[in-house]
Amino acid sequence: MNTAVFVYGVVDPATEVPPDLRGVDDAPVRVVGVFGDPIGALVSDLEPDRPPGRKADLLAYSRVLDSLALEGLVAPVRFGSQMDDEMSVVEDLLAPNVDWFCQVLDGIRGRVQYNLRATYLEEVVLAEVVQADREIARLHQMTREAPPDTAFAERMRLGELVAGALESKRDWDAETIMGVVAPHVVAAEVRPGSGVDHVVKVALLVERSHEQAFEQVLEGLAETVHERIRVSLVGPLAPYDFVGEA
Amino acid sequence: MTVQSASRRGGGYLERPAPSGLADVIEIILDKGIVIDAYVRVSLVGIELLTIDARIVIASVDTYLRFAEATNRLDLMEHGGGKPLDEFIGNMQESGAARKVGGAVRGAKKALTGGDDDDDDERRPVRKSSSRRRQEA
Repeated sequence: MNTAVFVYGVVDPATEVPPDLRGVDDAPVRVVGVFGDPIGALVSDLEPDRPPGRKADLLAYSRVLDSLALEGLVAPVRFGSQMDDEMSVVEDLLAPNVDWFCQVLDGIRGRVQYNLRATYLEEVVLAEVVQADREIARLHQMTREAPPDTAFAERMRLGELVAGALESKRDWDAETIMGVVAPHVVAAEVRPGSGVDHVVKVALLVERSHEQAFEQVLEGLAETVHERIRVSLVGPLAPYDFVGEA
Repeated sequence: MTVQSASRRGGGYLERPAPSGLADVIEIILDKGIVIDAYVRVSLVGIELLTIDARIVIASVDTYLRFAEATNRLDLMEHGGGKPLDEFIGNMQESGAARKVGGAVRGAKKALTGGDDDDDDERRPVRKSSSRRRQEA
């Protein structure tokens, strides 16, 4: 048999895969490993010379990982990783990296990831900015009244001042939000973001036993800030952001 | 499952979107996870992806103009508050270009004042003066 093998992640070998779980190309997903080893790999068979990269593949990969993360323990391997066969997986991937993979699994055991995103209600925050600064208010008025394609320098200056004011506001609001969230998570990875409405985007690792309390805290936060900030929470997810290089 | 959904919606203000679209999934998984190709002979296949993410902050003319346009879309006299500029945000995320948003704003103004709706670029003085000539005519 000469099929390639698509690798989803590193798992606890005792992981029970739901029998109806399908992966890339609708292939059944299974755990591969040496009996008695502390680590295994989650894989499925792939047609050789068939590069995974289509939309359906990405969706299948994430679906497999997120389902498994709810049932058990899985450290995602970067999308698109494929190996020659099961033997390579065991001999080249698992065997030489037992200690490292055990460390990674320990770091996520009993934990799940959530992605938090906070964005401004744009009209509200821009009004705050205009009302709080005289120069911004002046330029705002002036450029609104000026004919289109004129007052270029003033528009630039207005944009620059608004961008600066938003940056300060964002730092403050992001710090406040992280202050509320931090005591309820094991780890946090802030992601980059931009745009007028960006406040904060962060990956959070949460103890499963603490999930309900965590969600309640976030609901409270969302209510507190709802007049100016929109809070959105995605998850639980497989711990994509918490398995990288130590 | 029904009970679970109901309790999740109980909060009210916290949004709980399920990542369904390709863009959502890409954002979650792209460049994440254990990288194994450094350690083993593995073929990591290249992925053709659309560059959807236009959210890199660039301190540039485009960015500042965009912020100015955003501010000027407000009408403080009518400020009702709490109404998000979905269309604006959608445009920004899709095109990442000040041009498209600027065109939309100017287009709206010109439609109201009866001027023509050409996609003038503010930075080109030749067009600038010719459009003024058209308006004065």
